[in-house]
Formats: sequence, C-alpha cells, structure tokens
Amino acid sequence: MNFEPTIVAFLCNWCSYAGADLAGTSRFQYPANVRTVRVMCSSRINPAFIVNALLEGADGVLVSGCHPGECHYVSGNYLARRKLVLLRRFLEHLGIHPDRFRMSWVSASEGSKFADVIKEVTEAVRPLGPNQIKREQVWMQQAL
Amino acid sequence: MSTKRIGVYICHCGVNIAQTVGIEELKSFAATLPQVKVAENYMYMCSEPGQELIRKDIKEKKLNRIVVVACSPRLHEPTFRNTLVSAGLNPYCLEIANVREQCSWVHKDKKVATSKAKSVVAAAVTKVALLEPLEEKEVSVTKTAMVVGGGIAGIQAALDIADSGFKTYLIEKEPSIGGHMMQLDKTFPTLDCSACILTPKMSDIKNHPNIELLAYSEVADVKGFVGNFKVTVKRKPRYIEEAICNACGTCAKYCSIAIIDRYNEGLSKLQALHIPFPQAIPAAYVVDPEECRYLKEGTCRQCEQVCKELNAINLDMQEESVELDVGTIVVATGFDVFDANRKPELGYGRYENVITGMEFERVVSAAGPNQGELLINGKKPKEVVFIQCVGSRDKTVGNEYCSRVCCMYTAKQAHLVREKLPDAKITIFYIDVRAFGKGYEEFYDRVKGESVYYRRGNVSEVYKKGDKLICRAEDTLLGKPIEVPADLVVLAVGIQPSAGARELGKLLKLSTSPDNFFLEAHPKLRPVDTGSDGVFLAGCCQGPKDIPDTVAQASASAAKAVIPLAQGKVKTETMVARVHEQACRACGYCVEACPYDAIELQLQEVNGREKSVAVVNEVLCKSCGACTGVCFSGAIQQTGFTDDQILAVIGAIGKEY
Amino acid sequence: MEEAYERCVYLERLGLFGCIQCGKCTAGCPINYVTPDREPFNIRTLVYDVLNAPSEEIASEKHFLWQCTTCATCSLRCPKEVEPKDVVMNLRSILVEDGTLPPSIRDVLKSISVNYNPWGLGKEKRAEWFKGLELKDAGEAETCLYVGCTPAFDNRLHKLARSTVACLQKAGIDFGIFGIEEICCGNEIKRLGDIWSFDALREANTEVFNGYETIKEIVSISPHCFNTFKNEYPGLTPRVTHYTEYFARLIAEGTFKPKKKVSKKVTYHDPCFLGKQNDIYDAPRSILTSIKGLIFEEFDRNRENSLCCEGGGGRMWIEIEDARERLANIRVRDAVDMGVDIIAVACPFCLLTLEDAVKAMDLEDKLQVLDIMEILAQA
Repeated sequence: MNFEPTIVAFLCNWCSYAGADLAGTSRFQYPANVRTVRVMCSSRINPAFIVNALLEGADGVLVSGCHPGECHYVSGNYLARRKLVLLRRFLEHLGIHPDRFRMSWVSASEGSKFADVIKEVTEAVRPLGPNQIKREQVWMQQAL
Repeated sequence: MSTKRIGVYICHCGVNIAQTVGIEELKSFAATLPQVKVAENYMYMCSEPGQELIRKDIKEKKLNRIVVVACSPRLHEPTFRNTLVSAGLNPYCLEIANVREQCSWVHKDKKVATSKAKSVVAAAVTKVALLEPLEEKEVSVTKTAMVVGGGIAGIQAALDIADSGFKTYLIEKEPSIGGHMMQLDKTFPTLDCSACILTPKMSDIKNHPNIELLAYSEVADVKGFVGNFKVTVKRKPRYIEEAICNACGTCAKYCSIAIIDRYNEGLSKLQALHIPFPQAIPAAYVVDPEECRYLKEGTCRQCEQVCKELNAINLDMQEESVELDVGTIVVATGFDVFDANRKPELGYGRYENVITGMEFERVVSAAGPNQGELLINGKKPKEVVFIQCVGSRDKTVGNEYCSRVCCMYTAKQAHLVREKLPDAKITIFYIDVRAFGKGYEEFYDRVKGESVYYRRGNVSEVYKKGDKLICRAEDTLLGKPIEVPADLVVLAVGIQPSAGARELGKLLKLSTSPDNFFLEAHPKLRPVDTGSDGVFLAGCCQGPKDIPDTVAQASASAAKAVIPLAQGKVKTETMVARVHEQACRACGYCVEACPYDAIELQLQEVNGREKSVAVVNEVLCKSCGACTGVCFSGAIQQTGFTDDQILAVIGAIGKEY
Repeated sequence: MEEAYERCVYLERLGLFGCIQCGKCTAGCPINYVTPDREPFNIRTLVYDVLNAPSEEIASEKHFLWQCTTCATCSLRCPKEVEPKDVVMNLRSILVEDGTLPPSIRDVLKSISVNYNPWGLGKEKRAEWFKGLELKDAGEAETCLYVGCTPAFDNRLHKLARSTVACLQKAGIDFGIFGIEEICCGNEIKRLGDIWSFDALREANTEVFNGYETIKEIVSISPHCFNTFKNEYPGLTPRVTHYTEYFARLIAEGTFKPKKKVSKKVTYHDPCFLGKQNDIYDAPRSILTSIKGLIFEEFDRNRENSLCCEGGGGRMWIEIEDARERLANIRVRDAVDMGVDIIAVACPFCLLTLEDAVKAMDLEDKLQVLDIMEILAQA
C-alpha cells in the first residue's frame, strides 16, 4: 500500500480558511491527507505548534495566511513569515527535511489555489516517507 | 477540572454531507470519545427542529459543551451560539467541526472522507472540552460620526447620518465639496444636469444643524476604536476667513496671478485668489499658496486692500489642528481618473485634440471654458472618435478591473456630440459594452439609433496624417484593420483609487484588495463594512461605481454607521488576550507584536510585589492572537485559542481513527 | 490525453486563454499595415486559430508567418499580457523542427551551425572590419565592445563599427573586442524559430563572457544582440549595455564632449528592439541633442508609436514576393516630407533597410541614413 502522509494545515480564519471553504463550495477536489486547524490569524501560530504537530503524528505541516499586504489584522502575516522562515532553518538542524514544512498565501477568493497548494504539499511530503520523529515511534523504540 | 458533558450533533445537510461521510459510523465513533454523553444526527441541524434537538438535550441531559458537525463555522457559528444561549448555555461552549466545505465537498471516496471526518470530530471534541465560558462586554459610544470625503458619496452619507439625529463632521480636502460629480455635465442615462441635482444636496450640507463641514482639511491621525475614535484633523489655511467672506468676488478682480483651473481640468485659467466654482460650498474664496505672489515672494497684498470693509482676507493665516471625538467613520475618498499619459500610443499629451472623458465633460459643460460649445481649437469637430477601456481591463498599467462607468459615460458623451453637432460622424471603439444598470441598455440602444457607429475592437494607436488624427484599430467583427480619421479623440479613462486614500487607509488600518481599492469585510454579505470595526466604506473608494450605486452604498454605509450611535454601546471582541500576571516576565514582545497597540506594560502589584506586567486593553484587542504567538512564558493567552487548546487539537487531529 | 494536456500548458503559458479579442495587436502590427488583403497578416486571428486547432496544422498553412518582424508591438499593446509574438516564434519552431523552411532561412540556419554567423561567410572574414586598427583583446579591459555579425560582415556597416571604435577611443575608454572569436548572439536565430541553435549559442557565449573575469561591461552595437543578452541570457555576469545608453552616460558625465558642429536637420527612427522592447527612448535622443548645430525633429510616429523598419525577426533573410509597400519606404517618405537631411538610427538592420529604401526611391541626394555613432564620430 502506498504511504499516505498526514498533513496538518494551520489556516487563518479570514483568508486561507475562507479559501479552503471556497474550494469546497466550488467542489475543487484535493487529497484527504490534509487536516485543518483554524486560527484567527497566522501570527497566532507559535513555531512550537509546527514541531508539536510533527511530534504528534503529522508528516507535513502547512501554514497558510493572507497575502502580504492583505492581512485582516494589518500585519499579522508578516509577523508569521518572520517567525516561520527562521523555524524552517531550525527544522533542518533538527534533522527534519525542510519540505515537511511549508508556508503559503491563499486569499478568501482563491479556492482553486488552496486545492493546488494541498496537492503540492501532499506530493512533496509523500516521497519523504513517514516522519521519523513521531512521538509514538520514539515510545515504541523505548518499549523495545 | 470538572468533567464535561459533551453533546455531538451531526448534520446530514440533506445529501451534502451524508453522501460522502458515513453518518452512522461517525456517530458511533463520536459516542466513544471521552466525556461525550450524547451523539445525535439530523437531516438539517440548522433548521428549527435541529436546533430544538440541541436545546432539549442541553436541558434534559445537562450538557455543558456542544459540538456541531456540519458546515463551515464561517456560516453557522452565530446560529448555533444563539441556540446555546436560548438553552441557557454560554455561547462560547460551542465548537463546529467543518465536515462539509473541508471534507464531504472536496473528497469523493466515502471511506477516506469518513476517516478524515472522524479526525475532525475528535479534534473538535478535544477542543470543546477545554473551552471556557466567555463574557461579552460592552463599551459606550460617542454619538457623533465623521465622514471623510465630500463627493456625492460623502455628501449622501453625511446627510443620512445627520438626518438620523447624530452630529456629523464632513471632512473634505479640497476648498469645496462636490467632488467629481460637480465636474460632470450630464448624467447617464437620464441626462440630468449633474450640477443641478448635486447643488441642492450641497446646500443641505451647509444648512444642516447636525453637520459641521471642515473643508480644505485632511485627517492627520486616528486613535481609538469603534465608539471612541479620536481624530486629528489638519485644517489647511485658506487665507480667507470662511465665516466672514461673502463671496462677492471683488478681491479676485485685483489678483493678477493666473493659475490652472483644476475644476475645468486645466482647460482654462483663474486667479490665485479664487472660488473653485460658482456653486462652491463653503461659498468662500481661497488663496492658492503655491501661486500667490505675497505668499511666495512676500510682496503684493493687493487683495487685502479691497476687502477692508469685511476684512475677510488674512494672509497670515496658519495651519490649524482640530481634535474630534467620533463614534463611527465613513470613508468616502472617491477616485482619481486614470492618467492618460500612461498610454502614450493613444496620443494624449502629444496631440491637443486627444482629450480625456473628464475633459470632455468640461468642454461641453455650459459652465465650462467654452460655455458649452463643442469647440476644438476654435473649430467644431466633424469626426469624433471615442476609445473605450483606457486604463481599465489593462494589465500593462496594473488595472485589471472594469471601471464600470466608461461604457455609459461614453454613450452619453456620444449623445451630447450628436445633440450639439447633428452632422458629425461619431465612432465608438469598444471591446464589450457593459450596459448593466437600470435603463442603461435602453440608453445604449437609443444612442446607437442616433447614427453612432459602434465598432468592435480597440484602437491600438493614434497618429497624425495631414490635419486629421488617424485612429488605427481592427474591426474584429470584420477581421479587418481600419483607420478612422478624427478631429477629436475622446479617451474613456477609467477610475483609480484616490491618491491620498492609501495614507488614510493606513491610519484607519484598512486593507486593500489587489485592485488597490479598499477591501470590504465580505464581498457579498458585508459590502460596506471593513476589517476595522466602526469604519465603513462608501462610493468609489471601495471600487468603481456609477452615481446610483454610489448613492445607494453611501446610504447603506450611513445606516451601518448609525447602528452603534443609536445603540449607544458596542460589543467588544470576546476572544481577547488575557495575561497571567505571575507568569509574565514583562519582555514586551507582545507589545511589539500587537498591531492595535492594545497591550502595554504597566506596574502592578502581583502577589504583594510590584512588578511590570503586560496589560491588555480589551476594547482595543481584535482577537488575532499575535501576542500569544510570540509569548515565551505562555503568560498571555488568546481566549478560545489558547496554547493548551490548540496543542490538544494538534494532538487529536494528526491521528488516524 | 497527455499530449492535449501538454498543449493546454503551452497555451496557458502564453496566456492565450486570456485574450479578449480587442484587436489591438492586429491594429498595432506594422506588417498588417502593408500585407495585401488576400492574405492579411492578422495576429489576433492567428492567436485565435492556435487556441482552436493543432499548431502543426496552422504552422504549415500560414505562409505569412515569415512576414512577422517580431517587433513585439502586439505583445506590448495587449491589455491582457498575451504574447502573440511568442505564438509566431513557436509556430516557426514547428517548421524548423519539420525542416519545411524557405531556402534562404535554411541557409541562415546552416551558416549558424557551420560559421557561427547568419551571413554564410567564413569565420576569418570577421577580421575585416578592424583591419588596420590596434585594438585590445577582450580579456585585457573591463569594457568590451560586442560588434555583432551584421556590422562585422556587411561592408557598408564596417563604417558603423569603426565609428564606434573611434568614439570610444575619443572618450579615452579602455576597451577590448572579441575579434574573430566573436560568435552570433542568437537573437535573430531564436526569432526564426531555431530555439535549439539559440540554446547552443547562448551557452557558448555565456561561457566566453563569464570566462573572462576582467570583463565588467559589454557594450553592444546592435539592439538585437543587446536585447537577447539582456533578457534571454540568464546567468550572464557582465553588465550588458547598448551603446546609446553608454554614450549618453559618457556625455552626461562629461567624459565625452561632442565638439564639432554638425549643421544638419536630423530625425531619429526608434529601433523596435531598443525602444519598444527595452524602453530605451531618451538615451539616443540625448546623444543627438548634445551635438552642436544639429536640429533635431521628431517623426510624428515616434517612441512607443514608432513604425518598424521590417529588419527584425529574421526578416533580413526573408524575401517578400509581393511588390507590396515596404514600411521603410513609408518612413523615408515621412522624413522627406519633414525636410530632414538625415535619418539617424541606432541599429544595423534599420540602417540597411532604410538606406535600401532611400536608394530604391532614388532619394540619395536628398536624404542620408546614418547611425548615431557615425554622426557622433563627425562631431
């Protein structure tokens, strides 16, 4: 059986979550690998959430916010970008392939783009295989 | 922590959810989740019987947390919050699991979709168990409004708010209100005289007891929030005492400096000391400081001599700052016409007889430079060509949108040419004619019937041959290039956001859409609201509009702006950030991260010791959570989206069930 | 299915689906001015055809494909950023791949692969233009003059190349040339549809240019070479400048001062590859107006509205069967009506086409066609 990665996607309420809703309304199909977590703004996301998602079973993580300059909260997406760009480098040092983490900008009107982003992320993570730092795997090794 | 009694309610949404998600399987799964006491399903959860099902269980089975498994929370979250309230439960003890837009509609395989729905429901149940009841708070409202921009949009909005009984400040950056509508000769499709229908409204502004007009003024700063804005307005020196000047005009006769008449689009001249146009409101003269000889060179003051009796002229006037307290704000900053110089191939600026649509309005206006006679270089044009879509639908100039007025104003202008020059040959080059409004298609038909040649295809270049201009286009219906000679070429220039709007947008924290116009809160359901509570949009600042749409939107905006004033209080955001004072280490990162300046560090007594802690102004907080996203100690938490809650969701959602 | 998808990607890439059929491309197309009614070159309908039928079919049917000068007016005028010019180049590629080419073009492409120039002449002939001049080799100076095939091989244009050298020397510039090692830039080859040869030339040139670490700036005589170096050579290290920009800079800085009077009435013809395609309109004009005694007058159709001379897009090697009006003739007639003494140009192709028109119209005693460099060399 093919490996089906689990992707956890953090979406801001005003743009990307709405974009994901529009993908639904427009019936743009995309892989069911994605699970979304709604936050009000991408700036709410602590880098620790991404690490936690990877520990808790995700094989890939997506953070998606409003396009630069279009943030519902004026500048939250810039703040998110500044933090998460650093995180991406940090992940490499942790031995996590940087392709497991991605940021994107999807507006409320970009349903088809949301579907495309999910397809791309899923396809980027699939060849990387299961994420090796999943907490359960660490536990399993300890148990043995 | 007390145990929760959770109810899970799964909606079929007819077949929308049920055909892709196994409802029964999901229901039995939900029933096994921790603390879930009830798992039910129903055809339409949002229907009255569906909601009643929830209410009944809350009362009878003592449920204290509810998960609704249905469509997007962006649709029915308010509905179900009200359901909880009517059953006596705090409305924030609710979580919606979105299995329609983000599951059943985007996946086809029932097994896969059901499995995903289980993760989504598990995450929602996990989160709802951690949710705490939240309190909705209210603050009182300053019962005044401010309207920025004195074109037809601002005029209408100000009148409507003032008529509702609230004091309204109208801020206009030019010396007179009236805006672009004042420059138009006639309006389509009724051919009303534009000034004739506008000036009564302008007088109403002047005479309304509830309106205070601040002309020749600009908004310099905005602080505060809905209900309690503090606005600083910069009043530019007019050099004429507005209250004293009786607009007799004697002074202007003694002013020898000629300047470009912007009201006439630069087609005529007036004095540096002038009234913008005869019907100006306020009816007072103004001195152009850039051109006035005294203000530039320090000598002259001729005008003061002739106004000795009234003594209305004060060339020593200084800029003033005025502070206003307002509850709500309507933005009506309007538009600029597209600069035709940016399409050099059409000959604007190179040939005198290539003019813009706005210039044409002045040329044919009875109050214009030619007293309404259609003359180009002193001659009546025999052949007139109109070119549509100049600066609209054009990616090369960054304006991808349709300006919505050019098709119809061109039809109107063609009609005016026909009226004035019965023998002229009139050609209109178009790509698509968009005659969408009431009476527009009929008007388009009428104009076509007046021997106006509509040719499908747009002009690629204009050049000169002898004393004629040649407009070169392809008639795309014939598939043939054509060259139409012209004595007058009118460019149907489009609409762009007003140049100063961006600055104001920054002060008011407004977002713009990709077309650079201000972004409304929702394109369909909240078309005059903005992301900033208490700030509303009217007219072309939100997107190109004709006069009827502008007036309608202005009235809508006024009605919206009146709501908080009438209620006297506004609800503040509920899911605001809260600080755990003991954990706070006063690093100030949250203060920096907050886009609303809602957090500051204050000295407070914590456990009997005075220390600096972050304090959230819950009225200013807009619930974005940026502060929580940067807090090292977890001291500041956005309620409803705390670290604990999100981490629990992360734990639940990544699993396979 | 796969093929259809590929086709779709190609169409989407060119943005053809975005076309709103406004006809600005056709109306702006200079060739459309002069093609006969029975086989008009209508770029809009060509784009529409490509949307609706296999490109192979269209390429083999539309003989007028070879008339396009790739002046890019169609692409510039398009409000939806469709690239009709690229459609033509793409269709030409199909013909190049098939080998169904007019003989003159087949010769050009053959010459490129054998001699690295389109003129069918041996490599050693490239040395003729600088005979008797003492010039540095490319690696020996920071600035390098890229002469281009046409000034190097065409006898009339040797004067242009030598004038450029004279002006550079007058300005005291330390510069080198590639000499007989210079090879074709590939601009015209790409426009003829031979993207394969173009790639080879691009790789070879990039290797040479980047290979000399000393070279900081390459000054090109032809706007065609300049265009491809600037826009189609990703990863090129030295800066590429057209000589009009270069000399406008020298004059503005005061490094080069035109001293002698040139008491002539001069107009300037904008080359499409310099003006329309690279937005360089002011530099050539500033050079001309810096010359004492020179009276400068604009064509009515200037800058963005300029008319193509029909020299680009490989048209130097394409015979036109019809005895149709040449655009260069229109240009010359306009200049005669204006009463100017000289049409100044900044492109070797414009120089040749306009001069041919002057000769064909028997106006040599009334009107001269000179490159700006040739005028500047006199000043």
